[in-house]
Order: sequence, then C-alpha cells, then structure tokens
Amino acid sequence: MSEHHGHKFFEIIKPGSNYEFIGRSRTWIGLSIVLTLITVGALIFNVMSKSRGHVLNWGVDFRGGSEIIIEFSKAVEVGEVRKVLSDAGYHDAEVVKYADPTGQKQWNYMVRVGAVSVLSEQQSKQVRESLAKEGDASLKRFEWSEGGDKIYLRYDKPVDPTALANSLKAIGVNTTQVQAFGRPGDHGYEVTLVGLDSEIRRALDTRLGAGAVAAIPRVESVGAKAGKQLQYDATRSLVFAILLIMVYIAFRFDLRYGPGTVVALLHDAVLTIGAFAVTYKEFSLTTVAAILTIIGFSMNDTIVVFDRIRENAAKLRDRRFDRIVNQSINETLSRTIWTSATVFFVTLAMNIFGVGVIRDFAFAMNVGVIVGTYSSIFIASPVLIWLNDKYVASQRKSQGRTGRRRAATDEEPVET
Amino acid sequence: MERSWWWKAALYGVVTVLAGLYLVPTLVPEEKQPGFIKRHFTKRIQLGLDLQGGLHLVYEVNVDKAVSDKVDRLATDVEDKLRRDKGVNDVVVSREGRDFIVLTFKNAADNAKLDESILKDYRKSLDVAERDAAKGVVRLSIDPDQVAEVQDYALRQGIETIRNRVDKLGVAEPTIIKKGTDIIVELPGLKPSDFERIKTIIGRTAQLEFKIVDDGSQYMLKAAQEASKPEWKAQGIEVLPDSWTEKDTGKQHEDVYLKAKSRDVLEKFFGGLTGDLAVPPDHEIGFEELSTRGEDGAATPDRPWRTHYMHKRAALTGEYLSNADQNWDQQTGRPEVAFELDHQGAAISERMTGENIGRKMAIVLDDKVNSAPVIEGRIGARGRITLGGFGDPFALQQEAKDLVAVLRSGALPAPLRKTFETQVGPTMGRDSVDKAKTSMYIGAALVILFMLIYYRLSGLIAIVAMVLNMLFMLAILAGFEASLTLPGIAGLVLTIGMAVDANIIIYERIREELRMGKSVRTAVDAGFARAFWTVFDAHVTNFVAGVVLYSYGSGPIRGFAVTLLVGIITNLFTSYWLSHWMFDAVVGRRGAARNTLSI
Repeated sequence: MSEHHGHKFFEIIKPGSNYEFIGRSRTWIGLSIVLTLITVGALIFNVMSKSRGHVLNWGVDFRGGSEIIIEFSKAVEVGEVRKVLSDAGYHDAEVVKYADPTGQKQWNYMVRVGAVSVLSEQQSKQVRESLAKEGDASLKRFEWSEGGDKIYLRYDKPVDPTALANSLKAIGVNTTQVQAFGRPGDHGYEVTLVGLDSEIRRALDTRLGAGAVAAIPRVESVGAKAGKQLQYDATRSLVFAILLIMVYIAFRFDLRYGPGTVVALLHDAVLTIGAFAVTYKEFSLTTVAAILTIIGFSMNDTIVVFDRIRENAAKLRDRRFDRIVNQSINETLSRTIWTSATVFFVTLAMNIFGVGVIRDFAFAMNVGVIVGTYSSIFIASPVLIWLNDKYVASQRKSQGRTGRRRAATDEEPVET
Repeated sequence: MERSWWWKAALYGVVTVLAGLYLVPTLVPEEKQPGFIKRHFTKRIQLGLDLQGGLHLVYEVNVDKAVSDKVDRLATDVEDKLRRDKGVNDVVVSREGRDFIVLTFKNAADNAKLDESILKDYRKSLDVAERDAAKGVVRLSIDPDQVAEVQDYALRQGIETIRNRVDKLGVAEPTIIKKGTDIIVELPGLKPSDFERIKTIIGRTAQLEFKIVDDGSQYMLKAAQEASKPEWKAQGIEVLPDSWTEKDTGKQHEDVYLKAKSRDVLEKFFGGLTGDLAVPPDHEIGFEELSTRGEDGAATPDRPWRTHYMHKRAALTGEYLSNADQNWDQQTGRPEVAFELDHQGAAISERMTGENIGRKMAIVLDDKVNSAPVIEGRIGARGRITLGGFGDPFALQQEAKDLVAVLRSGALPAPLRKTFETQVGPTMGRDSVDKAKTSMYIGAALVILFMLIYYRLSGLIAIVAMVLNMLFMLAILAGFEASLTLPGIAGLVLTIGMAVDANIIIYERIREELRMGKSVRTAVDAGFARAFWTVFDAHVTNFVAGVVLYSYGSGPIRGFAVTLLVGIITNLFTSYWLSHWMFDAVVGRRGAARNTLSI
C-alpha cells in the first residue's frame, strides 16, 4: 500500500517509475528480430525435417484429409493401429494418442489420413479396369474426381445396379448405394462409396477382433479444394483485419501512428505463428481465430500507450519526442501490464483446464498476449519515434522552424 | 443522489430485469417456467453442433457436371436432327472441354446442312463458335447465358433437394445455408449410428420422373379395405374416392386413395402389407403432400399426404425436358405450366401419353409426388399442365411457379459433392462443456481475486459490471437464438478477462488524478472522461477483428465471433456507463462527496 494525498493504493508498479524503454529499443528490436529469425528457421526446419514435413502442423481443415478419433475397447498400441492402417492402404496415416477429456478412456487415438474418400487415385484406375465389362455391357465412361465419394459410370447396355455393387465389393470397394442415373437410354449409374470412417473401422475390427473399436466420437474431413480455400480465406482475413485496424488508427490518431501499430500487429501474428512452428502444435482454423483475436487485443495496449503519447505531446511541446514516448510508456505501464495480466489469467486457466479446441485457442492466446504486450511497448513506439523523426522533424528542419526537436501535435496538420 | 442518477437507476434496472427474463428459457427447465415466460420469452441459447453432437456437412454442387451434361444432351440432339431431318449420317460428334461440341462432317460440304433450320431451335442455348467449310468442321459452344442459367438452377435445385430430404429426416433443428456454390448443412443431436445413412440420403442425386398412375385397380380396392380397419383409422388414415371425366370422350375414371396427416403413417401401412396385400412388384405407391384450404378459401397450415398407385417404371425422366415456364390459360385466364421436351423426349412422350389418355401422370421428384395432372391428349414436344382447384389465383400462380421450378431443376440433376464434414458424437460434447465450465470458473475466480485485492471496493464495482456484462451478453445471445459452440465458450471466457480491462484503464486514470491531489469527485469524473476515448478505441479495434472473423469464419468459428462481438458491445456499456453510475453512488452527491476512495 502506498499513500498519495490520503488515498491508499495497492500498487505493484509504483507511479513515477522511470524505466528506460526507448533508449534500449535497439536491444529489444534486436530480440524481436532474433525471434522472427527463429520463426523463419523453425518454418524451414519443419519443411526439411523428416518427422515434421510441413511448414506448420496444419490441421485437417487446411491440409485437406480426414481426422478421425477412435476409441478402442481394449489395449491397442500405436504401432498396431499404424500397421493395420498401412496394410489397408493408408500409408500416410498419422496416429497419435488422444487425451480423452474425462481421462477415463485409455485407448483413444487420433488418426489422420490425407484421403477423404475410400478410393485413391491408383485404386480408381483399378476399379475402372475391373468395371470395364459388366455382364455383356462395356463401360463407355468413368467419372471420378480425386476425393470424391461418388463414381459415375456409363455403359452401352443396361446393367443391374445390384450386380455393379457386387462386382465392386469383389474388388474390395464397399458402396452404400448404386442407382441408375440420367436418361434411361444412357445407361448411367451413380455409385456412392462407403464413408472413410466406416472403412477404417471395418479394417481395424477385422484385424484386431470384432468390437475392438468401441466408438468413433469425432470425424472431420475436408476436401483438398476446400482446404485450399480455407487457407486462402485465413490469409485474406488476417490481411483485412490488419488493414482495417490501420485505417481506423490513422483516422483516430494521425498517419504517423498507423505504421507502428501495423508493424506491432504483424510482429504479434508472426511470433504467435512462430510458437506454433517451434512446438509443432496443430495449426487450425481455431488458431487463426485466436490470432485475429490477438490482433484486436494487442491493439488495446498500443492504444493505451499511443493515447498517452498524443496527450503528453500536446502538453509537453518542448520535450524531445522520444522522451515524451518514454514517459508515456512509464505512465501507462501499470495499465498495460494489468489489462494483459487479467486476459492472461483466464486464457491460462483455459489452457490448463480446457480441452480440445479451447486448449489450442488458449495456447495461442497465451503466446499472443505476452507478445502483444511486449510489442506495444518495444515495437510500436520505436516505429512511431522513427517515423516522427524521419518525416515530421526533418520537415520542420527544412522549413527552418527548428531549434529544438519538437513533437508534432494534433493541432498541427502533418503532411507525410 | 442527483435526479439523473435515479433515471439511470430505473433504466439499468429495467434492462437487467429484461435480460434476466430473456435467460429464463435457457436456464430453467420448461416445466418449471411460469406461464407468462412461456408465452413471451421462448427464445433460448442452443448448444452448437460440437457440443451436442451431430453432423456438419458442406456440399458443393457440381455445377460443371450439370453444364457438361447439358452440352452432352444438346450434342446428341443436334446429331439426331441432322440424321433425321437432313439425312446426314457421316458426322462425328465429339466434345471439347466443358463447353464445346465439335461436328466433323465426313463429306465437308455437308456442313452447310447444319443451317438455320436446325440451329433456330437452339438459338438460346448454342452459338456457332467456328465453321471451317473446307474441312467440314463446325464448333458449337454453349451460350454463356445458358451456362449461368444451368448453374443457377443446379444450385437452387441442390438446396431445394437437400431441404426436402432434411425435412423428411425429422431432425430437430436443422440449418441449411447457401454460401457461394456451397451448401452448408448442420444437423445437431443425431445418433452416430445414423450418420452414414443420413449422409447417403442427403448426398444422393435427385431425379425427376414421370410415372403413370394406375387408376381403378383391384389392388387399391383391397388395400383400401384393409386401411378401413379400426386400427388404421385410429392412426388417422382415411379412405377417399377420386373421380374425374375424360375431356374428349366423357369416360368416367374412378379410383380410391388413402390420406393421412403424415407420410410416415401411410408408409408404415403399406410397408406392413404382405402376401396378397403387398404392393405388386411392378407398381409402387407415390406420396403427395397436399395443401388444404379452409372454408374461406385461404390456405391452412395443415399439410396432409395422399397416395398414388402408380407403375414403377418411369415413363419419362426429367432429362428429356428442355424447358418449362409459367403461362396463363388463354381461355380461362388461369395459371398453367408449359413445358418443352427435347427431340428424343418428344418421341417417347407421344407414345406414352397416347397410350394413357385420361390417366394421371405423377410428377415425382426425389421420392415425392409433386402433382399428378390428368393426361388430356397426346403430348409431343410441347405440353401444358393446368392446375386444378379453385383457390385464389395468386396461390395458384405460386403453385404453378413451384412446379416450374421442379420441372426445370429436374431436367438437370446436379450431383452434390461433399467437401467438408465434421461428425461429433454426443459424449464428446458433454465432456467438453464440463471442462470448459471449469476453466471458466477458475478464470473468473482469478480475475475476481485480483480485482478485489488490487482495487478493493472499486474492484467490486468492476466485478459487478463484469457479472452484468455476462448477463447481458447471454441474454442477447438468447435473443438471437445463437448456438453456443466450443469456441463460443472460449469467447465467453475471454470476455471475462477483457471485461475488466476497461475498468483497469479507467481506475489507473482515476488514481493518477487522485495523486495529483484532486478531490474524489473530480478525479472520478476526470478519470472516466479522459479514459473514454482510450476505452472506445480499444473496443473498436477488437470489434473490427471480430467482424473480419465473422465474415470469414464458418461453423464454430462464427460462434466465437458472435460471442466476441456481442461481448464487446455489452462490455462498453457495463464497464463504462454502468460502472460510472455505480461510482456516482459510491462517491456521492456533488458537494457532499466523500474524501477518500477505495481504489
């Protein structure tokens, strides 16, 4: 407790503190550059590394493919699951232990395969060949697109759909439905393939004993095209968010304040991605949502500092701009730290006690809150000073109005 | 207290009570709700799909296949015409890409035979892209407008089909949304054992078929006798006579049909019939949903179903249709539907309708009889369907338009391709909710503890504001009937953390003012006034991020964005104005204000 004019405050950061932030900004910027380089390095390492293989551990929503959570009724080792899947033709299957939220069920695995349908490109050729003759009818057209759960066939004579289903079954392709399609004269047929999860379940049950798979609590599958689209949407949304915020800042403050916030936001986004690159935690749609939230939130701190800078700049016209900034950061330090701390508390609670998506989200938020607080002090402000010195101060000099370095204020229109 | 304070107290009180009322349906089990709540407040927060389990599917309508099929059909048609009308037999018709038809005439001079007399029929659909008279090669391309039209129909049909099928499934609260060429389907609360079946039903390609109704059959008389038994009567099955007169010959047609409130009852009845009573293998029962009219002629909400006993073999399918439009009957001025068949279709139709004059022809789309008009004469390339009944002309016109939509879309079945799928079992969701709740309580406890220790009494104000913020937020979500997803809960928890941020900013400012030696009253007012724009800007930037998130995200992410956006708005209100109002109460009246502040 400290006392001021008879008021008692519980303070951790004492008022009148005068830490040097700006003077050491080179060191801090250096640190950020190093962290950024580590991010880039981790991204490159991830691509080269055999065990990782992707820039980021893309979630199924971006990569395309299927993610299936399987709950076994008995003890099954990772290796067994992997072997069964590989034998069943899913050579790219990734199998990891999946922590059950209740902690009661032990043998939960998350299986990730690149396929979304039971048919692979290669198998489709095989299917095509074996369907070339059905009774005395011959195949005129075969339509199947990668990842599709349907095949369209056209024969020169009518074929019995049941017979078609049977011949598909004979070569190991299970169907849920075969129906005539199109004009009767075209002899077209639509084959609907069985779902990938059912097929995997069947494979596991056959090899590990019937009933080995107790349940499949969750399946998520994304076609390759949809995955690409989501990636594009995610990138676009990040760019949009940053641009819109920059426009708002430029409108509310002035143009000098825009770039600093944007650099800080980019910095936050990049380093959060970096944390995902280094830990190789799954990077999914939820992560992007978290990054967007971080961008919005990180602005909180930056605005608190910038607001004070603007206020002080108007008051203390005689001071050097970088001193004003340093003082403003000190004055608002308590705010910056505590607003971030409360958000950090709750996101940490989510990270520790949450589950699944919530946890991923909270991890990103944890990283983002720290990075965001740091960036509003050590990144946004130096950029602002730099811009001020470069454009505003030099402009004044050329107009012959200098004597001292002065800060621009709201009242003085600034042309940059 | 000043007068304005009391006004605000009244306003905030009303808002709080209203918010509380809005939350009753969500929080209190239905049987315990008081009557007035049940009457006025029915909206509630739903659990999202990831929490209650279910299917989230995204289908892409394969519009390109629809276009390609259309071009295919046009190619066959043109070849047919050349052969029949012009006697050109040596022409090779091939396809190029999605849009082109290439005709290679063996005798190069024959290309001239593909002249206006043939092309005029295709004015709307085909353009001559290139004609190489020397080589005898003609390239036709599908008209861009036609492509757009085909794609549009395909998409609309896709949605319509999915909607019909989902309705038939009887899932509690299905959501079907169109997004670009994608159709998003959300089916909450399903059993995992139904997933595969439901996916098959939804993903099937719809087909339009025309089937001849076999009226006056012995079979229906037998079935009707069976249906008259009390056990079926008790389930609401009615046996009704149907009769009409042939227009030209005056021949009378007599038939019976069954009617019931729901299709299920009728299906169950026919499904249970065995032996002699079973539906003969070459026939089937079609079901039609009827609209009913009250005595005043206005439509009533009842939609009973009736049966049609029809031949199983489709006499004609939708692919032979080339166009359909809504017209007006020139004699009676009533709305009617005009349709056109293509070359091949006309030939089949001529034979089929000729043989069945006076009978009904059921128009079946996706296992549902849409209507069953009586065939009044031989139909060739062009036909008309006059709508029966004496309703108001606008209702009839709407009916006609609906039929046109069915016919047009049925002409081009566009396959659906699944591009995105999430299926969640019910247990997964329950566990997640519990865990999420725990993290929410712990997070809230941490924040509350911090605020009380650091700001003491003022911290309590911030906590009250935070709790009210939660209340308002949830009430608004209930008002929107929003569904709460797992990321949505994350949004809620996050709001707890961010809710006190504005208070911290304001409090630190007040402390600064106090340190400068200002009086409590002045410091509080100045603190709130000076912090306003800072707080406002911070909310706006968060809001911007939320809006971007909402417009780009789908499914659960949207749930997060919604909670975030609502939370930001309510938070500005509670942490600024409401807190200010509470401070006024603590600090006291101007002049008689207290000297110290617990902050």
